Amino acid sequence: MGKILITNNPLVKEQLSKYIVIEYYEIEYLDILKRVRDKIHLGHKLLSHPLSGSVKPNETPYKSIIISKDKGKLDYESLMVIEKSIETAEKFLRNFKTPNWTENILLDFQIIDLSLIKDVVIDRSII
Amino acid sequence: MRLELGNIYIKDVQFGDETKVENGVLYVNKEELISIISEDEHLKSVDVELAKPGESIRIMPVKDVIEPRVKVEGKGGIFPGVISKVETVGSGRTNVLKGAAVVTTGKIVGFQEGIIDMTGPGAEYTPFSKLNNVVLVCEPVDGLKQHEHEKAVRMAGLKAAEYLGKAAKNVEPDEVETYEFLPLLKSIEKYPDLPKVAYVLMLQSQGLLHDTYVYGVDAKQILPTLISPTELMDGAIISGNCVSACDKNTTYHHLNNPIIQDLYKKHGKELNFVGVIITNENVYLADKERSSNWAAKLAEYLGVDGVIISQEGFGNPDTDLIMNCKKIEQKGIKTVIVTDEYAGRDGASQSLADADPLANAVVTGGNANEIIELPPMDKVIGHVEPANKIAGGFDGSLKEDGSIVVELQAITGATNELGFNKLTAKGY
Repeated sequence: MGKILITNNPLVKEQLSKYIVIEYYEIEYLDILKRVRDKIHLGHKLLSHPLSGSVKPNETPYKSIIISKDKGKLDYESLMVIEKSIETAEKFLRNFKTPNWTENILLDFQIIDLSLIKDVVIDRSII
Repeated sequence: MRLELGNIYIKDVQFGDETKVENGVLYVNKEELISIISEDEHLKSVDVELAKPGESIRIMPVKDVIEPRVKVEGKGGIFPGVISKVETVGSGRTNVLKGAAVVTTGKIVGFQEGIIDMTGPGAEYTPFSKLNNVVLVCEPVDGLKQHEHEKAVRMAGLKAAEYLGKAAKNVEPDEVETYEFLPLLKSIEKYPDLPKVAYVLMLQSQGLLHDTYVYGVDAKQILPTLISPTELMDGAIISGNCVSACDKNTTYHHLNNPIIQDLYKKHGKELNFVGVIITNENVYLADKERSSNWAAKLAEYLGVDGVIISQEGFGNPDTDLIMNCKKIEQKGIKTVIVTDEYAGRDGASQSLADADPLANAVVTGGNANEIIELPPMDKVIGHVEPANKIAGGFDGSLKEDGSIVVELQAITGATNELGFNKLTAKGY
C-alpha cells in the first residue's frame, strides 16, 4: 500500500525522502493536523497516530503523520482520531502557546519527531 | 514462581569509605561509584550527590528513578537482559534497599522536565521526595547524539542501582514479603470460587526518549505476552522513557507496581490474580490494532472475569488504552482503566484524546494541567534551566524571587498512571 508522510519537520524531509513520498509544509503543528483532516475527508486513511510522542502539542512545533496514498470512501475511524487529536491540541494551545525555542531546542524536537516516525518508515514495510 | 522480597529499611544515606548498609544507614563510597559509572566512554564526567527528605533541594531534569535490589537466592540477577544475563527471574529471594533510590539526571535535550523537590509544596506531589536519593549527574562527551546520551544515562542509573544493591546482599532484612505466582490451572484449582482477574500493563514504546525494555528487548518489537508479576519485581522491565515526567513509569514504578501490589493484597480473598499481560503503545495504527487484538485474545484465553488496564503517557497511548478496553469488554470481560488527565487548568475539558462508552470504569491519577508554584530551593542538583524551557512552564513562569509556576506535568510521578501517588478525582 502506498503511503504519504505529511510533515512540517525539515529533518524528516531531509532524511526520509528516499523512503517515502513526503509532503512538506512550512506550517504550524495544528495546521499539519488540519491538513491531514482535509486529506481524510478526501478519502485518505490515517496510518500513524497524530498525537505520537508524549511531548505536548504546545511544546513541540513539529509533527509528522503518515496517511494512505490511495483514496477510498471516507474512513470514519480515521476521522474520529484526527478530530479528537485536533481537539486535544487546541486544548493545550489554549493553556499556553508553544514557546519561541532556540535553534538547538528546535533541533531536539526535530530529532524526537523523526525518531517517532522513522522506525515505521524504514525498518518495517507494514500495511 | 515464588519470590521473597527482603526489605531492608533505609532511613538515611551518607558518603563513607565503604559502600555498606549498617543500622538502616546506606553508606556510599562516592569515588568507587563514580569510577564504575565513568567506565562508559560516552560520559565525560559523573558526579554523585545525595538528596534526603526535607532538604531544600531541587533535582532536575530527572530521567529515571531506580530502587537498588540484589538477588540473594534463585536464578538470574537484577535487570536481566540489560545488566545481568538473560535468565528468567522472579523466583527465590531478592533483597531491597527500601527507602533508597538512584536518581539519574541528564540534559539529553534542550527542553526540560522532571522535577523532584525534596521539601515544600512540590515535594507533596512526588513520591520520590520521601526517599534517600543517590543522584547521578552525568555529563556527556562533546557531540554525543541524543540516542547515545539517553542510553548512557539509562545504563549509569542501572549500574549504580546494581552497585548499591550489592550492599544489601548479606544484610538481614527487616521484613520479608512473599509473592507466589501459580501456573494458571493450579491457581484456578486453588481458588475456584473467586473471580479471576488479570492485569494489562501498557508500556511506552514510541521512539527516542519514549522507550521501555523487557528483558532487554525494545518493547516496540514485542507482541503482547504474559509475564509473572514477580519478574517485574526483579527488574525484567526497565524504563527508557524520559518524556512526560508526571505520568511516565520509572524503573522504580515497574519494580513497585502498585496495581500488582494491590492485586496481591486481594488475591485469594476477594479475587484470583491469574496473570499480567504486557503490551505496547506504538505510533503506527496497524501496530495498535495488532497489539490490542492480541491483548484481548490473551485475556480471553486466560478465561478471566475482569481486567485492569494501565496506560503510560499522553495522546497516542489514549488510543491504545481505548482499543484494549473496548476489545476486552467485547469478549465479555469487565475492565477498569487507569490513566491520568489533561483536562485543562480548570479541569473542565475532555481528559483523554479518545473515548468509548465501554470505558465506563476509570481510575484517574489526577489532572496534569493543574498549576503549582514551586518556591526556590537552596540547592539545585542537575541542570538549572530557565522556567520557559520546562515542560508545563510558560512565559512568566519564573518569578523574581526564583520561584516557578508550572503545570503538574513538570513534576516526576505527579499523576502516575499506575496510581503510585496521592492524586485522583472522583465522580459524583
